[in-house]
Amino acid sequence: MGVQTPNGFNLDNSGKRVVVDPVTRIEGHLRLEVNVDSNNVIRNAVSTGTMWRGIEVILRGRDPRDAWAFTERICGVCTGTHALTSVRAVENALSINIPENANTIRNIMQLTLQVHDHIVHFYHLHALDWVDVVSALSADPKATSALAQSISDWPLSSPGYFKDLQTRLKKFVESGQLGPFKNGYWGHPAYKLPPEANLMAVAHYLEALDFQKDMVKIHTIYGGKNPHPNWLVGGVPCAINLDGTGAVGAINMERLNLVSEVIDRMVTFTNQVYLPDLQAIASFYKDWTYGGGLSGKSMMSYGDIPEHANDYSAASLKLPRGVILNGNLSEVYPIDLTDPTQVQEFVSHSWYKYGDESKGLHPWDGVTEPNYALGPNAKGTRTSIEAVDESAKYSFIKAPRWKGNAVEVGPLARWVIGYAQGKPEFKEPADKLLGDLGLPVTALFSTLGRTAARGLECQWAAGQLRYFQDKLMTSLKNGDLATANTDKWKPESWPSDVKGVGFTEAPRGALGHWVKIKDARIDNYQCVVPTTWNGSPRDPAGNIGAFEAALLDTPMAEPEKPLEILRTIHSFDPCLACSTH
Amino acid sequence: MPNTTRPSRFQEQVLAGVADIGGALNRELPINRPTIYVYEAPVRLWHWVNALAIVVLAVTGYFIGSPLPTLSGEASDHFLMGYIRFTHFSAGYVLAIGFVMRFLWIFWGNIHSRQLFYLPIWSRKWWSGVRQELRWYMFLEKEPRKYIGHNPLAHIFMVLMAMSITVGMICTGFALYSQGEGIDSWQAKAFGWVFRLFPNSQDVHTWHHMGMWVIITFVIIHIYAAIREDIMSRQTMISTMISGERQFRDDRED
Amino acid sequence: MGVATETFYDVIRRQGISRRSFVKFCSLTAASLGLSPFAATQMAHALETKPRVPVIWMHGLECTCCSESFIRSAHPLVKDVILSMISLDYDDTIMAAAGHQAEAILEETKEKYKGQYILAVEGNPPLNEDGMYCIDGGKPFVEKLKYMAADASAVVAWGACASWGCVQAAKPNPTHAVPIDKVILDKPIIKVPGCPPIAEVMTGVITYITTFGRLPDLDRQGRPKMFYSQRIHDKCYRRGHFDAGQFVEAWDDEGARKGYCLYKMGCKGPTTYNACSTVRWNNGVSFPIQSGHGCIGCSEDGFWDKESFYDRLTTINQFGVEANADRIGGAVAGVVLAGVAVHAGVTAVKRLSTKRDE
Ligand code: HEM
Ligand code: HEM
Ligand code: NFV
Ligand code: SF4
Ligand code: SF4
Ligand code: F3S
Ligand SMILES: [Mg+2]
Repeated sequence: MGVQTPNGFNLDNSGKRVVVDPVTRIEGHLRLEVNVDSNNVIRNAVSTGTMWRGIEVILRGRDPRDAWAFTERICGVCTGTHALTSVRAVENALSINIPENANTIRNIMQLTLQVHDHIVHFYHLHALDWVDVVSALSADPKATSALAQSISDWPLSSPGYFKDLQTRLKKFVESGQLGPFKNGYWGHPAYKLPPEANLMAVAHYLEALDFQKDMVKIHTIYGGKNPHPNWLVGGVPCAINLDGTGAVGAINMERLNLVSEVIDRMVTFTNQVYLPDLQAIASFYKDWTYGGGLSGKSMMSYGDIPEHANDYSAASLKLPRGVILNGNLSEVYPIDLTDPTQVQEFVSHSWYKYGDESKGLHPWDGVTEPNYALGPNAKGTRTSIEAVDESAKYSFIKAPRWKGNAVEVGPLARWVIGYAQGKPEFKEPADKLLGDLGLPVTALFSTLGRTAARGLECQWAAGQLRYFQDKLMTSLKNGDLATANTDKWKPESWPSDVKGVGFTEAPRGALGHWVKIKDARIDNYQCVVPTTWNGSPRDPAGNIGAFEAALLDTPMAEPEKPLEILRTIHSFDPCLACSTH
Repeated sequence: MPNTTRPSRFQEQVLAGVADIGGALNRELPINRPTIYVYEAPVRLWHWVNALAIVVLAVTGYFIGSPLPTLSGEASDHFLMGYIRFTHFSAGYVLAIGFVMRFLWIFWGNIHSRQLFYLPIWSRKWWSGVRQELRWYMFLEKEPRKYIGHNPLAHIFMVLMAMSITVGMICTGFALYSQGEGIDSWQAKAFGWVFRLFPNSQDVHTWHHMGMWVIITFVIIHIYAAIREDIMSRQTMISTMISGERQFRDDRED
Repeated sequence: MGVATETFYDVIRRQGISRRSFVKFCSLTAASLGLSPFAATQMAHALETKPRVPVIWMHGLECTCCSESFIRSAHPLVKDVILSMISLDYDDTIMAAAGHQAEAILEETKEKYKGQYILAVEGNPPLNEDGMYCIDGGKPFVEKLKYMAADASAVVAWGACASWGCVQAAKPNPTHAVPIDKVILDKPIIKVPGCPPIAEVMTGVITYITTFGRLPDLDRQGRPKMFYSQRIHDKCYRRGHFDAGQFVEAWDDEGARKGYCLYKMGCKGPTTYNACSTVRWNNGVSFPIQSGHGCIGCSEDGFWDKESFYDRLTTINQFGVEANADRIGGAVAGVVLAGVAVHAGVTAVKRLSTKRDE
């Protein structure tokens, strides 16, 4: 039986139900259920977050200066972005201003995460949806070399290099122990790359694996380790010492040089490997136009990377801020995160309890009280689910809405909003990529568009890393060494009842933390996370979220081998630990 | 003026350490001899050495927990924290060795030397003594009874607040010490079990630190009681812990 | 087993190590294990031909940061671990297969490698709501965990989550998340704590087990002694400043810039067992203290519930009052002192009045 959702999608759950659980190559636990019609086209999609840890509950009553460490453990993949959001929320509540250098270093940390996360996502979580590893065995190394050299100056591209790699891969496959590639969808009709492109992609899969461990050294230098570097309310913990006694105990010239060197390599890798691969792979999948969903209709970005310390206005933010609704790209709405009517979370279809579930709550007044129960039409039992009942509660993800609208967040949303605002740094590279592929702008509103926007953003972020590291050096040259403001470090100096909000653009999209502090302790803490937006279940009005919308109308070659579902879902880079926290 | 010069046979037994001390105390015999040798030299020596060790441990321990303001200059020119910790550990050894020796002394020492290591909780008489002493401290009794060793209230207090906490401090202290010495050290072998109770040694620090305040509280009450009893009770106190002799101020029976 | 299996020998050959060094490695290893020269030959043979050990890597309630850390390993490179040293047959985070195809691997491994595979667990099982705060394949994760543990040869507990419970088990632990040794009772479990553990420690543990065919020596708490028997404080390069009494007194002060000791900023190095101050992070680049923040004790049991990371003295939250040992103890001692003074006063008054009465 078909129904239309208020946000304009047609749902029909009469066809065969296909379940994918566990969804792999994501972070955390996600279950997808879709109904396919007789032509194997997806007509109904249900996304279920299947884990909950209760970090918001655990944070109550704790020291707000510690909150960054707790929230950082919401996710180790987007490591640091929750911590940054948290220190911003606490600083906002306590009116703490941070030094300029601290802002710069925080930006460097955040941009490092963007580059790292995007590269790891593309190669290690997403590529196998497009790249057939087994097909790479039949590639001609010479032709692979020619292909690689035709698209990039990257030095690792000789025939011998690809030959060695292929030999190793062959041994691996012939051993019969396929490890992570076991039971993959090799040979699936949806794979379109020629063997040479597959071999090249596998080579870069391994190179990216080697390189990602070096990128994070920037976190290690400024934050002491990665994953989960250290942060500080009031600034950054890494003191700077260029000349004084004991400089080796602080950020000194050798450390700064190491950061700089890693940034250069990130810029090169993005330009010479990631972007060319992206373009090459996309060129073979141009007619796979599915997965748009909410993109191009309703998208949101809070903005991030403040040029000036303590200025979180849209003008200071280098990533765009605003909301696009109903596909109207000519209007970008401003966002006020303190306005109780803008961001709200609903739980009518989520495994939580509110007094009145027909209403949404602004995060400052947010409530997190779990309530696991399957709906009457669910199949299976309470501890052995065969199918959930999406007319009732069906997910640990809450349903956040902006003025009642379900929106998509993430690199594509940021890119489109920047594009709509006419900002050249977003518009030009997008136009160039689309031009090279011979595609219209509307092609961005798809699974591939999401994947492409991530690549473009990675390139942008690598460039910004260079910019901010140079900015830091200039500041140091001018004699400003300050990294922390400790005026309000002591809880005795705090007002007794305050609230604050902090936000970032995490790799997966708009992230906000709302905190209330009472008598120097956390009174309420609420996180509304990118994957909460994208993976959202339905709301009381029946609007569906981005995951569900994107899966609709996709034809599947073989419903039992859900490659198409994985493709589209992976293009969001879902993080379930984040979404439910 | 005392009218008896000879101790009774029982008192002789007590002095010789033969009779049951609990029984002896509970019988609350009228004591009509003016002085009795109670605390033998090793006990007295231990008492004062132990007192000194605890003062040193508390002062240095406090500064381990909350160090003094930072010293400027080269690290190699200073060793302040090192000295404080070294002093603490040395005093810790003195405390621990003293404790062991004091314990062993009960096999050689007189009956009073044993009092510190048990409580005669099975004795009604003793409990009545506790009650009587409590009432005395609540100004409800006109005068306390006489005791050769510790009065029952002091006795409870010594065993619970001084001795058991000392054992606790030694165990937690050496467990913490073993962390620096390494898991192959004898300290780790002997006291590593503490970390079974508290797997995160931060808790051991906290309990060790709390123990200090229990001991400080004990010392305050103890010193006050010693002075007060010295003035108010029917027998000497402080001089007893110096000379070992307990002198009774009257020869009335209880 | 195909003839082309890449064995441990192939790997080290490929890394440019000669056959001679390989044989020497084997005899040294045999000697250090107290085995005969004959055993060395056997070992060499085994390493040359043995199939890679299957590893099943499962995720409970966690943040995937242990996986992220694992892939940061520089020696050995994680690609070499995965391609040549172990057979990582199941790992939700990186495996190609999903849904039924993924679940089929578990069944196959259980059958084909009964008693031979290693179960590596990241995260932990929640027990509230019949385990349904972590659902995997429609069922409670804890079921899957026990099911796969039953036929494993050994179990590796990755990180603070699997070892101690970590953040989701912090008070009030709404999901009743428990460390895995509370539900896997009959298998040797090696705990590799840290939030996350250091990459090279993780690959070190895995390669130790696959190379020597046994678990490394464990300490009282089940952690490998080789990495967890010393505190951060024991090998901290700022220790000289600690002994000297030179401390950071406030963030970004003179002492912070000079690399003084972070004890007064709440550094938990003195109570934390981990290899950070020796192995360091991300190929030896730094570790928390070197970058100016104290250790937060992330490899210790229950470190989330020891109150603020910035307090030297643990805050004790009892009976609704918040204080530390000095404040509580000081208050008690103060009250006692006052009580003693009052008592002394009353005693004096009483004594004087009785004297007068007489
Ligand atoms: C850190 C300080 C001190 C500690 C830990 C301490 C501990 C003890 C202990 C354990 C005993 C029992 C001895 C035994 O039965 O062998 C004792 C007895 C005694 N202490 Fe102390 N003491 C301390 C300081 C003092 C001071 C400063 C005085 C004197 C003003 C004092 C006076 C006495 C007296 C008079 C007795 C004998 C009490 C009795 O006969 O019932 N103590 N002390
Ligand atoms: C009356 C007896 C004792 C008192 C009052 C005392 C007091 C203290 C205090 C207050 C601390 C600081 C705790 C903290 O906040 O971390 C401390 C630490 C310590 N104590 Fe004791 N202590 C006593 C006995 C001992 C003994 C017998 C030893 C055994 C050697 C010992 C060894 C230690 C060690 C190893 C530390 C930790 C030092 C460090 O972390 O640098 N203590 N003590
Ligand atoms: N969703 C999400 Fe995150 C991101 N990016 C957090 O804010 O991944 Ni774990
Ligand atoms: S131990 Fe820490 S790092 Fe590892 S999964 Fe758990 S929260 Fe993440
Ligand atoms: S910084 Fe921390 S670990 Fe290092 S010496 Fe100081 S207290 Fe110890
Ligand atoms: S916080 Fe963790 S990373 Fe090491 S220095 Fe402390 S154990
Ligand atoms: Mg939330």
